[in-house]
Amino acid sequence: MNETIGLYIDRDSPLHRLNPLTKVVFTICIVILGFISPWAWITFAIPVLILIPMSFWGQIGVPYLRALLKIVVPLALILLVMQSLFLPGETTWFRFWFLSVEYESVERSLTLVSRLVSMTASFILFLFSTHPSRLMTDLTRRGVSPIVTYLFISTIQLIPLMRTKANTIMDAQRARGLETEGNIVTRSKALMPMLAPLVFGSLVDVEERAIAIEARAFRVPGKRTHLTIVPDSQAQHLFRIALIVLTVVLIGVRLWLSLTS
Amino acid sequence: MSFGERLKRDFSTMTLVLIPVAIVINIVVGQIVAALKLPVFLDSIGTVLVAVLAGPWAGLVTGTLSNVIWSMVANPDAIYWTPVAAIIGLIAGLCAKYGLFREWWKVIVTGVLVSLAAAVASAFISVWLYGGITASGISFVTIYLVESGRGLIESVFAASFIVEPIDKIITCLAAWGIIKGMSLRYVSRFPRAENVSA
Repeated sequence: MNETIGLYIDRDSPLHRLNPLTKVVFTICIVILGFISPWAWITFAIPVLILIPMSFWGQIGVPYLRALLKIVVPLALILLVMQSLFLPGETTWFRFWFLSVEYESVERSLTLVSRLVSMTASFILFLFSTHPSRLMTDLTRRGVSPIVTYLFISTIQLIPLMRTKANTIMDAQRARGLETEGNIVTRSKALMPMLAPLVFGSLVDVEERAIAIEARAFRVPGKRTHLTIVPDSQAQHLFRIALIVLTVVLIGVRLWLSLTS
Repeated sequence: MSFGERLKRDFSTMTLVLIPVAIVINIVVGQIVAALKLPVFLDSIGTVLVAVLAGPWAGLVTGTLSNVIWSMVANPDAIYWTPVAAIIGLIAGLCAKYGLFREWWKVIVTGVLVSLAAAVASAFISVWLYGGITASGISFVTIYLVESGRGLIESVFAASFIVEPIDKIITCLAAWGIIKGMSLRYVSRFPRAENVSA
Protein backbone atom coordinates (compact mmCIF):
# COMPACT_ATOMS: atom_id res chain seq x y z
CA MET A 1 0.00 0.00 0.00
CA ASN A 2 2.99 2.31 -0.22
CA GLU A 3 3.21 3.02 -3.94
CA THR A 4 2.70 6.68 -4.82
CA ILE A 5 -0.78 7.13 -6.20
CA GLY A 6 -2.47 10.32 -7.22
CA LEU A 7 -2.21 13.12 -4.71
CA TYR A 8 -1.52 10.95 -1.63
CA ILE A 9 1.62 11.84 0.35
CA ASP A 10 2.97 8.99 2.45
CA ARG A 11 3.74 10.00 6.07
CA ASP A 12 3.42 8.28 9.42
CA SER A 13 1.38 10.95 11.20
CA PRO A 14 -1.65 10.95 13.51
CA LEU A 15 -3.70 12.47 10.67
CA HIS A 16 -2.72 9.64 8.33
CA ARG A 17 -3.48 7.05 11.02
CA LEU A 18 -7.05 8.31 11.56
CA ASN A 19 -9.72 5.98 10.26
CA PRO A 20 -10.63 7.02 6.67
CA LEU A 21 -14.33 7.30 7.54
CA THR A 22 -13.53 9.91 10.19
CA LYS A 23 -11.83 12.01 7.52
CA VAL A 24 -14.70 11.47 5.05
CA VAL A 25 -17.23 12.69 7.66
CA PHE A 26 -15.00 15.63 8.59
CA THR A 27 -14.57 16.67 4.93
CA ILE A 28 -18.32 16.49 4.24
CA CYS A 29 -19.07 18.56 7.36
CA ILE A 30 -16.58 21.24 6.30
CA VAL A 31 -18.22 21.41 2.85
CA ILE A 32 -21.69 21.77 4.42
CA LEU A 33 -20.38 24.40 6.83
CA GLY A 34 -19.20 26.47 3.84
CA PHE A 35 -22.71 26.41 2.38
CA ILE A 36 -24.61 27.30 5.54
CA SER A 37 -22.22 29.98 6.79
CA PRO A 38 -23.97 33.37 6.65
CA TRP A 39 -20.77 35.40 6.24
CA ALA A 40 -17.99 34.80 3.72
CA TRP A 41 -15.26 35.55 6.25
CA ILE A 42 -16.25 32.52 8.38
CA THR A 43 -15.94 30.32 5.32
CA PHE A 44 -12.55 31.85 4.49
CA ALA A 45 -11.44 31.24 8.09
CA ILE A 46 -11.98 27.47 7.82
CA PRO A 47 -8.91 26.72 5.70
CA VAL A 48 -6.74 29.20 7.59
CA LEU A 49 -7.73 28.30 11.16
CA ILE A 50 -8.59 24.60 10.85
CA LEU A 51 -7.22 22.99 7.70
CA ILE A 52 -3.70 24.47 7.60
CA PRO A 53 -2.94 23.63 11.27
CA MET A 54 -4.30 20.14 10.61
CA SER A 55 -1.96 19.72 7.65
CA PHE A 56 1.02 20.53 9.90
CA TRP A 57 -0.30 18.02 12.44
CA GLY A 58 -0.28 15.52 9.57
CA GLN A 59 3.33 16.44 8.63
CA ILE A 60 2.23 17.57 5.18
CA GLY A 61 2.07 21.30 5.96
CA VAL A 62 4.60 22.46 3.36
CA PRO A 63 3.27 20.49 0.37
CA TYR A 64 -0.26 21.41 1.46
CA LEU A 65 0.50 25.13 1.51
CA ARG A 66 2.23 24.77 -1.85
CA ALA A 67 -0.85 23.03 -3.28
CA LEU A 68 -3.12 25.78 -1.92
CA LEU A 69 -0.92 28.46 -3.50
CA LYS A 70 -0.77 26.60 -6.80
CA ILE A 71 -4.35 25.35 -7.16
CA VAL A 72 -6.69 27.29 -4.87
CA VAL A 73 -5.30 30.84 -4.68
CA PRO A 74 -4.97 31.49 -8.46
CA LEU A 75 -8.46 30.07 -9.07
CA ALA A 76 -9.91 32.21 -6.27
CA LEU A 77 -8.26 35.37 -7.60
CA ILE A 78 -9.34 34.80 -11.20
CA LEU A 79 -12.90 34.07 -10.11
CA LEU A 80 -13.01 37.09 -7.78
CA VAL A 81 -11.90 39.46 -10.53
CA MET A 82 -14.12 38.00 -13.25
CA GLN A 83 -17.19 37.68 -11.06
CA SER A 84 -16.80 41.17 -9.56
CA LEU A 85 -16.68 42.58 -13.06
CA PHE A 86 -19.41 40.56 -14.71
CA LEU A 87 -21.95 39.42 -12.14
CA PRO A 88 -24.98 41.74 -12.22
CA GLY A 89 -25.46 44.35 -9.47
CA GLU A 90 -27.18 47.66 -8.72
CA THR A 91 -24.92 49.95 -6.69
CA THR A 92 -21.77 50.88 -8.59
CA TRP A 93 -18.72 50.78 -6.33
CA PHE A 94 -16.19 52.13 -8.79
CA ARG A 95 -15.59 52.12 -12.56
CA PHE A 96 -12.58 52.25 -14.79
CA TRP A 97 -12.49 52.34 -18.54
CA PHE A 98 -15.69 50.59 -19.69
CA LEU A 99 -15.83 48.18 -16.78
CA SER A 100 -17.78 48.70 -13.61
CA VAL A 101 -17.62 46.90 -10.27
CA GLU A 102 -20.86 46.72 -8.32
CA TYR A 103 -21.11 46.33 -4.59
CA GLU A 104 -23.55 43.40 -4.89
CA SER A 105 -21.40 41.46 -7.35
CA VAL A 106 -18.34 41.70 -5.09
CA GLU A 107 -20.40 40.48 -2.14
CA ARG A 108 -21.89 37.60 -4.13
CA SER A 109 -18.48 36.70 -5.54
CA LEU A 110 -16.91 36.59 -2.07
CA THR A 111 -19.61 34.16 -0.91
CA LEU A 112 -19.20 31.90 -3.95
CA VAL A 113 -15.40 31.95 -3.90
CA SER A 114 -15.18 31.36 -0.14
CA ARG A 115 -17.28 28.19 -0.55
CA LEU A 116 -15.14 26.91 -3.40
CA VAL A 117 -11.95 27.66 -1.46
CA SER A 118 -13.00 25.86 1.71
CA MET A 119 -14.45 22.92 -0.25
CA THR A 120 -11.40 22.45 -2.45
CA ALA A 121 -8.99 23.00 0.45
CA SER A 122 -10.68 20.38 2.65
CA PHE A 123 -10.83 17.99 -0.27
CA ILE A 124 -7.12 18.38 -1.01
CA LEU A 125 -6.25 17.77 2.65
CA PHE A 126 -8.33 14.59 2.56
CA LEU A 127 -6.63 13.35 -0.63
CA PHE A 128 -3.14 14.21 0.64
CA SER A 129 -3.59 12.21 3.85
CA THR A 130 -5.77 9.26 2.79
CA HIS A 131 -4.57 6.37 0.65
CA PRO A 132 -7.35 5.27 -1.78
CA SER A 133 -6.77 1.56 -1.03
CA ARG A 134 -7.04 2.18 2.71
CA LEU A 135 -10.26 4.12 2.21
CA MET A 136 -11.81 1.40 0.06
CA THR A 137 -10.65 -1.43 2.36
CA ASP A 138 -12.35 0.27 5.26
CA LEU A 139 -15.54 1.06 3.32
CA THR A 140 -15.83 -2.54 2.11
CA ARG A 141 -15.62 -3.77 5.70
CA ARG A 142 -18.47 -1.38 6.53
CA GLY A 143 -20.68 -2.87 3.85
CA VAL A 144 -19.85 -1.14 0.56
CA SER A 145 -20.06 -3.69 -2.27
CA PRO A 146 -16.71 -5.28 -3.24
CA ILE A 147 -17.69 -4.52 -6.83
CA VAL A 148 -17.40 -0.77 -6.14
CA THR A 149 -14.05 -1.39 -4.51
CA TYR A 150 -12.87 -3.39 -7.51
CA LEU A 151 -13.89 -0.61 -9.95
CA PHE A 152 -12.12 1.99 -7.84
CA ILE A 153 -8.86 0.23 -7.12
CA SER A 154 -8.44 -1.27 -10.55
CA THR A 155 -8.97 2.14 -12.21
CA ILE A 156 -6.38 3.75 -9.96
CA GLN A 157 -3.89 1.01 -10.76
CA LEU A 158 -4.58 1.24 -14.49
CA ILE A 159 -3.94 4.99 -14.79
CA PRO A 160 -0.11 4.92 -14.56
CA LEU A 161 0.03 1.87 -16.86
CA MET A 162 -2.09 3.60 -19.50
CA ARG A 163 -0.11 6.82 -19.21
CA THR A 164 3.09 4.92 -19.91
CA LYS A 165 1.41 3.20 -22.85
CA ALA A 166 0.16 6.56 -24.20
CA ASN A 167 3.64 8.07 -23.98
CA THR A 168 5.20 5.06 -25.74
CA ILE A 169 2.64 5.35 -28.55
CA MET A 170 3.18 9.11 -28.84
CA ASP A 171 6.96 8.64 -29.07
CA ALA A 172 6.64 5.77 -31.55
CA GLN A 173 4.32 7.74 -33.84
CA ARG A 174 6.54 10.82 -33.66
CA ALA A 175 9.54 8.67 -34.56
CA ARG A 176 7.60 7.57 -37.67
CA GLY A 177 7.20 11.22 -38.59
CA LEU A 178 3.76 12.05 -37.18
CA GLU A 179 3.37 15.80 -36.76
CA THR A 180 1.96 16.71 -33.33
CA GLU A 181 2.58 20.42 -33.59
CA GLY A 182 1.51 23.05 -36.11
CA ASN A 183 -1.90 24.33 -37.12
CA ILE A 184 -5.18 22.90 -35.89
CA VAL A 185 -5.67 20.65 -38.94
CA THR A 186 -2.26 19.01 -38.42
CA ARG A 187 -2.90 18.54 -34.73
CA SER A 188 -6.37 17.06 -35.33
CA LYS A 189 -4.89 14.64 -37.86
CA ALA A 190 -2.46 13.42 -35.18
CA LEU A 191 -5.35 12.39 -32.93
CA MET A 192 -6.39 9.17 -34.67
CA PRO A 193 -2.92 7.51 -34.93
CA MET A 194 -2.43 8.19 -31.22
CA LEU A 195 -5.83 7.17 -29.89
CA ALA A 196 -6.53 4.05 -31.95
CA PRO A 197 -3.57 1.92 -30.74
CA LEU A 198 -4.12 3.05 -27.15
CA VAL A 199 -7.85 2.34 -27.03
CA PHE A 200 -7.83 -0.95 -28.95
CA GLY A 201 -4.74 -2.14 -27.13
CA SER A 202 -6.37 -1.66 -23.75
CA LEU A 203 -9.68 -3.21 -24.83
CA VAL A 204 -7.89 -6.41 -25.85
CA ASP A 205 -6.96 -7.08 -22.21
CA VAL A 206 -10.56 -6.71 -21.00
CA GLU A 207 -11.79 -10.17 -21.98
CA GLU A 208 -8.77 -11.93 -20.52
CA ARG A 209 -9.15 -10.08 -17.22
CA ALA A 210 -12.86 -10.95 -17.07
CA ILE A 211 -12.06 -14.65 -17.39
CA ALA A 212 -9.28 -14.32 -14.81
CA ILE A 213 -11.43 -12.74 -12.10
CA GLU A 214 -14.34 -15.08 -12.76
CA ALA A 215 -11.96 -18.00 -12.29
CA ARG A 216 -11.10 -16.53 -8.88
CA ALA A 217 -14.75 -16.56 -7.73
CA PHE A 218 -15.13 -12.77 -7.87
CA ARG A 219 -18.92 -12.89 -8.14
CA VAL A 220 -19.63 -15.61 -5.60
CA PRO A 221 -22.33 -14.39 -3.20
CA GLY A 222 -21.86 -14.58 0.55
CA LYS A 223 -19.85 -13.01 3.33
CA ARG A 224 -16.16 -12.26 2.75
CA THR A 225 -13.33 -12.18 5.24
CA HIS A 226 -10.73 -9.43 5.18
CA LEU A 227 -6.98 -9.68 4.94
CA THR A 228 -6.30 -6.29 6.52
CA ILE A 229 -8.53 -4.39 8.90
CA VAL A 230 -8.09 -0.62 9.06
CA PRO A 231 -8.01 0.35 12.75
CA ASP A 232 -10.86 2.40 14.21
CA SER A 233 -11.47 3.55 17.78
CA GLN A 234 -14.39 4.30 20.08
CA ALA A 235 -13.15 7.89 20.40
CA GLN A 236 -13.28 8.37 16.63
CA HIS A 237 -16.73 6.82 16.51
CA LEU A 238 -17.96 9.36 19.08
CA PHE A 239 -16.15 12.19 17.27
CA ARG A 240 -17.93 11.32 14.02
CA ILE A 241 -21.33 11.26 15.73
CA ALA A 242 -20.56 14.58 17.45
CA LEU A 243 -19.57 16.16 14.11
CA ILE A 244 -22.74 14.97 12.40
CA VAL A 245 -24.95 16.18 15.28
CA LEU A 246 -23.17 19.55 15.34
CA THR A 247 -23.62 19.97 11.57
CA VAL A 248 -27.32 19.07 11.74
CA VAL A 249 -27.79 21.57 14.61
CA LEU A 250 -25.99 24.28 12.61
CA ILE A 251 -28.18 23.59 9.57
CA GLY A 252 -31.21 23.95 11.87
CA VAL A 253 -29.94 27.25 13.30
CA ARG A 254 -29.27 28.57 9.80
CA LEU A 255 -32.74 27.61 8.59
CA TRP A 256 -34.34 29.16 11.67
CA LEU A 257 -32.36 32.38 11.17
CA SER A 258 -33.28 32.68 7.50
CA LEU A 259 -36.96 31.96 8.26
CA THR A 260 -37.25 34.52 11.07
CA SER A 261 -35.32 37.36 9.43
CA MET B 1 -37.52 -8.77 -17.03
CA SER B 2 -37.60 -6.89 -13.72
CA PHE B 3 -35.39 -3.88 -13.10
CA GLY B 4 -33.17 -5.80 -10.66
CA GLU B 5 -32.61 -8.65 -13.13
CA ARG B 6 -31.86 -6.14 -15.88
CA LEU B 7 -29.26 -4.46 -13.66
CA LYS B 8 -27.69 -7.80 -12.81
CA ARG B 9 -27.38 -8.59 -16.52
CA ASP B 10 -26.00 -5.12 -17.35
CA PHE B 11 -23.30 -5.33 -14.71
CA SER B 12 -21.80 -8.59 -15.99
CA THR B 13 -18.17 -9.43 -15.33
CA MET B 14 -17.28 -8.11 -18.79
CA THR B 15 -18.92 -4.77 -17.91
CA LEU B 16 -17.13 -4.59 -14.56
CA VAL B 17 -13.79 -5.10 -16.27
CA LEU B 18 -14.62 -2.66 -19.07
CA ILE B 19 -15.60 0.20 -16.72
CA PRO B 20 -12.09 0.83 -15.26
CA VAL B 21 -10.59 0.73 -18.77
CA ALA B 22 -13.26 3.18 -19.95
CA ILE B 23 -12.57 5.56 -17.06
CA VAL B 24 -8.87 5.53 -17.82
CA ILE B 25 -9.66 6.11 -21.52
CA ASN B 26 -11.67 9.19 -20.43
CA ILE B 27 -8.78 10.53 -18.40
CA VAL B 28 -5.88 9.69 -20.73
CA VAL B 29 -7.67 10.75 -23.95
CA GLY B 30 -8.69 13.97 -22.23
CA GLN B 31 -5.05 14.61 -21.45
CA ILE B 32 -3.83 13.76 -24.98
CA VAL B 33 -6.42 16.15 -26.45
CA ALA B 34 -5.26 18.83 -24.02
CA ALA B 35 -1.62 18.14 -24.96
CA LEU B 36 -2.49 18.58 -28.64
CA LYS B 37 -4.23 21.88 -27.68
CA LEU B 38 -7.43 21.02 -29.54
CA PRO B 39 -10.47 23.18 -28.71
CA VAL B 40 -12.57 20.24 -27.42
CA PHE B 41 -12.54 18.11 -24.24
CA LEU B 42 -13.31 14.57 -25.48
CA ASP B 43 -13.18 13.39 -21.90
CA SER B 44 -16.22 11.13 -22.02
CA ILE B 45 -15.54 8.71 -24.88
CA GLY B 46 -15.18 5.82 -22.40
CA THR B 47 -18.42 6.76 -20.66
CA VAL B 48 -20.37 6.67 -23.93
CA LEU B 49 -18.68 3.37 -24.85
CA VAL B 50 -19.86 1.70 -21.63
CA ALA B 51 -23.32 3.28 -21.90
CA VAL B 52 -23.80 1.77 -25.37
CA LEU B 53 -22.40 -1.69 -24.57
CA ALA B 54 -23.84 -2.10 -21.07
CA GLY B 55 -26.80 0.26 -20.73
CA PRO B 56 -27.62 3.63 -19.15
CA TRP B 57 -27.00 2.60 -15.53
CA ALA B 58 -23.52 1.30 -16.27
CA GLY B 59 -22.94 4.55 -18.19
CA LEU B 60 -24.06 6.56 -15.19
CA VAL B 61 -21.72 4.65 -12.87
CA THR B 62 -18.82 5.13 -15.30
CA GLY B 63 -19.39 8.87 -15.57
CA THR B 64 -19.69 9.32 -11.81
CA LEU B 65 -16.60 7.27 -10.92
CA SER B 66 -14.70 8.91 -13.73
CA ASN B 67 -14.99 12.39 -12.23
CA VAL B 68 -14.54 11.20 -8.64
CA ILE B 69 -11.30 9.41 -9.54
CA TRP B 70 -10.07 12.19 -11.81
CA SER B 71 -10.48 14.63 -8.96
CA MET B 72 -8.58 12.26 -6.68
CA VAL B 73 -5.57 11.80 -8.95
CA ALA B 74 -5.20 15.09 -10.77
CA ASN B 75 -7.77 17.85 -10.56
CA PRO B 76 -9.80 18.30 -7.33
CA ASP B 77 -12.28 20.64 -9.09
CA ALA B 78 -13.54 17.81 -11.30
CA ILE B 79 -15.71 16.53 -8.45
CA TYR B 80 -18.14 19.48 -8.81
CA TRP B 81 -18.96 18.46 -12.38
CA THR B 82 -19.73 14.81 -11.52
CA PRO B 83 -23.49 15.17 -12.22
CA VAL B 84 -22.70 16.27 -15.80
CA ALA B 85 -20.58 13.17 -16.41
CA ALA B 86 -23.26 10.94 -14.88
CA ILE B 87 -25.99 12.44 -17.10
CA ILE B 88 -23.86 11.98 -20.23
CA GLY B 89 -23.61 8.24 -19.46
CA LEU B 90 -27.32 7.95 -18.69
CA ILE B 91 -28.56 9.78 -21.79
CA ALA B 92 -26.11 8.05 -24.13
CA GLY B 93 -27.30 4.69 -22.76
CA LEU B 94 -30.97 5.60 -23.22
CA CYS B 95 -30.36 6.80 -26.79
CA ALA B 96 -28.57 3.55 -27.61
CA LYS B 97 -31.43 1.55 -26.06
CA TYR B 98 -33.86 3.13 -28.52
CA GLY B 99 -31.71 2.31 -31.51
CA LEU B 100 -29.90 5.63 -31.88
CA PHE B 101 -26.48 4.02 -32.10
CA ARG B 102 -26.97 1.74 -35.11
CA GLU B 103 -25.95 4.03 -37.97
CA TRP B 104 -23.54 6.93 -38.12
CA TRP B 105 -26.17 9.62 -38.69
CA LYS B 106 -28.21 8.32 -35.76
CA VAL B 107 -25.06 8.56 -33.65
CA ILE B 108 -24.97 12.28 -34.47
CA VAL B 109 -28.55 12.56 -33.16
CA THR B 110 -27.36 10.84 -29.96
CA GLY B 111 -24.52 13.35 -29.76
CA VAL B 112 -26.97 16.25 -30.01
CA LEU B 113 -29.31 14.80 -27.34
CA VAL B 114 -26.38 14.06 -25.00
CA SER B 115 -25.02 17.56 -25.47
CA LEU B 116 -28.40 19.15 -24.66
CA ALA B 117 -28.59 17.22 -21.39
CA ALA B 118 -24.95 17.98 -20.57
CA ALA B 119 -25.46 21.67 -21.36
CA VAL B 120 -28.45 21.97 -19.01
CA ALA B 121 -26.64 20.12 -16.21
CA SER B 122 -23.40 22.08 -16.52
CA ALA B 123 -25.26 25.40 -16.76
CA PHE B 124 -27.08 24.61 -13.51
CA ILE B 125 -23.83 23.76 -11.72
CA SER B 126 -22.15 26.82 -13.18
CA VAL B 127 -24.93 29.13 -11.94
CA TRP B 128 -25.39 27.50 -8.56
CA LEU B 129 -21.74 27.04 -7.62
CA TYR B 130 -19.95 29.76 -9.55
CA GLY B 131 -22.67 32.34 -10.04
CA GLY B 132 -22.40 31.64 -13.79
CA ILE B 133 -18.80 32.69 -14.25
CA THR B 134 -16.25 29.88 -13.93
CA ALA B 135 -12.53 29.90 -14.65
CA SER B 136 -12.80 27.90 -17.88
CA GLY B 137 -12.85 29.02 -21.51
CA ILE B 138 -16.61 28.73 -21.82
CA SER B 139 -17.00 31.75 -19.53
CA PHE B 140 -15.59 34.04 -22.22
CA VAL B 141 -18.59 33.14 -24.36
CA THR B 142 -20.85 33.80 -21.34
CA ILE B 143 -19.22 37.17 -20.66
CA TYR B 144 -19.49 38.16 -24.32
CA LEU B 145 -23.22 37.41 -24.23
CA VAL B 146 -23.68 39.28 -20.92
CA GLU B 147 -21.87 42.34 -22.22
CA SER B 148 -23.99 42.35 -25.37
CA GLY B 149 -27.01 42.94 -23.17
CA ARG B 150 -28.46 39.53 -22.26
CA GLY B 151 -29.27 38.37 -18.75
CA LEU B 152 -26.67 36.36 -16.88
CA ILE B 153 -28.61 33.10 -16.51
CA GLU B 154 -29.73 33.24 -20.13
CA SER B 155 -26.11 33.81 -21.22
CA VAL B 156 -24.80 30.86 -19.18
CA PHE B 157 -27.31 28.50 -20.79
CA ALA B 158 -26.71 29.93 -24.28
CA ALA B 159 -22.94 29.53 -23.87
CA SER B 160 -23.33 25.88 -22.83
CA PHE B 161 -25.58 25.19 -25.82
CA ILE B 162 -22.98 26.74 -28.14
CA VAL B 163 -19.96 24.86 -26.79
CA GLU B 164 -21.30 21.40 -25.87
CA PRO B 165 -22.73 19.96 -29.15
CA ILE B 166 -19.46 19.96 -31.13
CA ASP B 167 -17.63 18.16 -28.34
CA LYS B 168 -20.35 15.59 -27.68
CA ILE B 169 -20.97 14.78 -31.36
CA ILE B 170 -17.26 14.04 -31.84
CA THR B 171 -17.26 12.02 -28.60
CA CYS B 172 -20.19 9.86 -29.74
CA LEU B 173 -18.72 9.36 -33.21
CA ALA B 174 -15.41 8.31 -31.65
CA ALA B 175 -17.17 5.77 -29.41
CA TRP B 176 -19.09 4.51 -32.45
CA GLY B 177 -15.81 4.18 -34.39
CA ILE B 178 -14.27 2.19 -31.53
CA ILE B 179 -17.23 -0.20 -31.42
CA LYS B 180 -17.14 -0.63 -35.22
CA GLY B 181 -13.43 -1.43 -34.87
CA MET B 182 -14.12 -4.29 -32.44
CA SER B 183 -14.80 -7.78 -33.73
CA LEU B 184 -18.43 -8.96 -33.64
CA ARG B 185 -17.44 -11.80 -31.35
CA TYR B 186 -15.96 -9.34 -28.88
CA VAL B 187 -18.95 -6.98 -28.96
CA SER B 188 -21.36 -9.89 -28.42
CA ARG B 189 -19.74 -10.63 -25.04
CA PHE B 190 -21.30 -7.43 -23.64
CA PRO B 191 -24.85 -7.35 -22.20
CA ARG B 192 -26.27 -4.80 -24.66
CA ALA B 193 -24.60 -5.91 -27.87
CA GLU B 194 -27.99 -5.57 -29.63
CA ASN B 195 -27.65 -1.78 -29.31
CA VAL B 196 -25.09 -1.64 -32.10
CA SER B 197 -25.87 -4.55 -34.43
CA ALA B 198 -28.70 -3.76 -36.80
